[in-house]
Amino acid sequence: MSDVKVKRETNLSDPADIESRIKELCQQFPHGITDQVIQNDMPHLEPQQRAMAINKLLSLGQLDLLRNSSGLLYRLKDTQSTSKMKGSDNQEKLVYQIIEDAGNKGIWSRDIRFKSNLPLTEINKILKNLESKKLIKAVKSVAASKKKVYMLYNLQPDRSVTGGAWYSDQDFESEFVEVLNQQCFKFLQSKAEVARDSKQSPMVQRNSSFATSHEVWKYICELGISKVDLSMDDIETILNTLIYDGKVEMTIIAAKEGTVGSVDGQMKLYRGVNPIIQPTGLVKTPCGLCPVFDDCHEGGEISPSNCIYMMEWLDF
Amino acid sequence: MTSQEVRLCGLLLREHFGDVVEKVGTHLLKSGAQNLRTIIHETGISLDLVKKSLCVLVQHGACVFSPGRKGRGSPTEYVASCDRILRILRYPRYIYTAKTLYGDTGELIIEELLQRGHMTLSNTVKTVADRLTQNMEEGHSMDYSEVSSAFSKLVETHFLQRCPPPAGAGSKDSTTEPTPESFPDCYKMPHVTLVGRGKRQLSTEDGEEQRNAKKARLAIEVGTHGDEGIYWQVNLERFHLHFRDQTIISAVANKLDQTSSEIVRTMLRMSEVTTSPAATCTKPLSANEIFRSLPSGYNIPRPILDQYLTLLVDDPMEFVGKAGESGGGMFVVNLDRALANLARATLESVVQERFGSRSARIFRLLLRKRHLEQKQVEDFAMIPAKEAKEMLYTLLSQNLVQLQEIPKTADFAPSRTFYLYTVNQLPTARMLLQNCYKTVANLIERRLFESKESKRLLEKSQRIEAILASLQASGAEPEQLTEVEEMITAPEKQQLDALRLHINKLDSAENQVDETIFLLESYINSTASSTS
Repeated sequence: MSDVKVKRETNLSDPADIESRIKELCQQFPHGITDQVIQNDMPHLEPQQRAMAINKLLSLGQLDLLRNSSGLLYRLKDTQSTSKMKGSDNQEKLVYQIIEDAGNKGIWSRDIRFKSNLPLTEINKILKNLESKKLIKAVKSVAASKKKVYMLYNLQPDRSVTGGAWYSDQDFESEFVEVLNQQCFKFLQSKAEVARDSKQSPMVQRNSSFATSHEVWKYICELGISKVDLSMDDIETILNTLIYDGKVEMTIIAAKEGTVGSVDGQMKLYRGVNPIIQPTGLVKTPCGLCPVFDDCHEGGEISPSNCIYMMEWLDF
Repeated sequence: MTSQEVRLCGLLLREHFGDVVEKVGTHLLKSGAQNLRTIIHETGISLDLVKKSLCVLVQHGACVFSPGRKGRGSPTEYVASCDRILRILRYPRYIYTAKTLYGDTGELIIEELLQRGHMTLSNTVKTVADRLTQNMEEGHSMDYSEVSSAFSKLVETHFLQRCPPPAGAGSKDSTTEPTPESFPDCYKMPHVTLVGRGKRQLSTEDGEEQRNAKKARLAIEVGTHGDEGIYWQVNLERFHLHFRDQTIISAVANKLDQTSSEIVRTMLRMSEVTTSPAATCTKPLSANEIFRSLPSGYNIPRPILDQYLTLLVDDPMEFVGKAGESGGGMFVVNLDRALANLARATLESVVQERFGSRSARIFRLLLRKRHLEQKQVEDFAMIPAKEAKEMLYTLLSQNLVQLQEIPKTADFAPSRTFYLYTVNQLPTARMLLQNCYKTVANLIERRLFESKESKRLLEKSQRIEAILASLQASGAEPEQLTEVEEMITAPEKQQLDALRLHINKLDSAENQVDETIFLLESYINSTASSTS
């Protein structure tokens, strides 16, 4: 018996074999194979046959066609996603891919149209199809309430679309913000009062009336008035609104890295303050608050002599 | 000279000096510098009356005359000054301040000088002594020397000053009116010997003769006191500086605490006479000086004082600044920044009272961040989009907020332009100031209207009071008095009371608006002079 090395002769003209060989190569190189690699492996394969095999695999959805700087790459497609797309045609796959690329920000239907160059009616049909297959979903954007962005079904929409902690179902939660506002202010005010009553030296008094944003955040979390988790940034936006109300002032101090609540070596401190003047004299008169101030002159329909606001004010 | 200012000046002149002076004054305000002939021609008032009105206006410093613009030989021209006439609104505040600082004597001195415009020292002292003696019990009278000492105290602290000598017809090239300050003897007391006591005015029977006799006596006496020609007037600028200091001190007390405000008060008191009115900050004071000059009631130890000063410097309101390290630290009071902060607080309070606290939030946000887009305003202020839009548009329509367009393309296509909202503090302050003038004019007109409505009732009550007084003086019986009192029926009495209440309310409202006017005017003057 001669040891005849049985050369595994692949019937090279069999397309199925070519395809499976290519698939094996892909599995060997998970990052993708170029045309060159296939040629090296099966040097006797004609370019035509090669192209036919590759096209077949692509249309079956088992290969992914990618382009890199040196040429085309073929990559084995994930079997799971392959099963998903079974029964879908090319256009749907294209649209799906575009939506996938948009990540968790979602993409608007008009942008899909631009990227795929498909007519609007086609796009709408495809989108409806994909939605019924539960592959994508539509999320209403908080910026423009009529606009719908599409994203993959299992993705969490990004903060910029839903608005973050302050929006629930596209509605700005103003009462929630107001409640938080008042709670933060009460906390800072009581801290300032405690500091003032402590009758220590003024420097210590002032420093103890400060609260870091971290302290306020902890206090609000412990209060438990919020259903959603609030981050320190959220609390800082609330504290900023208190600054714009003129009730609170802020300073930034340098803090050692690693101390609780410091961000980039700085800490923000907040303190309740009193207003510096009483309501000014002009607003103690009816003219200061009058809605028709500009129309009022002597001898006209609206004049100081027959002003009803003045009459009520004088009899008060 | 805006129309609101002219209207207010007209009302004030009419109330204090009468219709004729009002006509002449408003005419001068509207038409600028004019000579006598033109005034007579254009107002249609007789020469006599015009001359007298001009005298009244000059006496009170509301009008100045200067040689004609067309060169020598052209008739003198008269210019009315709007600012001075508007100060009439503030007279009650001046008098009240003098009362708190120098007691009744000071109050009466200031009141007399404000009413007469210019007066000599001797005249003032006599009149004030007489008035004070009126109110004292029988047998007591006011000594001239007390009044003189009060007068000299007022001069020392610069509340009174000498009137500058009038620019003669042949004066040289000084085209500008010399200010009182440029006159070196501005605050020098003349050497005058005034000996005597206040005279009580006797009862009304001999009133007429007494008055004539007194007039003759005065005429003789004036000549014997050696200070004729030296006229004194109230230094309004000094009062304004005092008001400004008071406001700063109370703002510090509100923001920080009592001790800090005492420290600031000490600093301001020490720089009262050394700081010029237009300065942006006081002269630097060292911490040692401040420590020595603190009022004796506050014995705070030196390190604590240093801490307070550091806190004042660190405060974001920037009332006090540090100017150096010598002498334990040199500190100044930043006057212009304090005024800017106070003006900003005034603007914010107006927006808050008028439009609500959310609009005030947007207003303050725009003040801090200068320029913002609509979306950013909504995000920072945490107000729902619809409401924020509405509030912004209301503020825009009232001109409290301005819109700045920044185009992306050369044609200002709306879809390709940035629209930024912004607040400019100085123009807004000017606008509010005009609103204040209009408000005060409205209040005065309403007051006049109310008095006119009830004129008949007022006259009746005055007649009854006169009858009552004469009956009492001649010793009538109680029944007669009650009979006279019953001539006013109960509802009429109620009406009178209500009227009195209304008029008091309107008066006090005028004073309150005047406080706002003062703040805004000081801010505008300090900013305008620093940028010019």
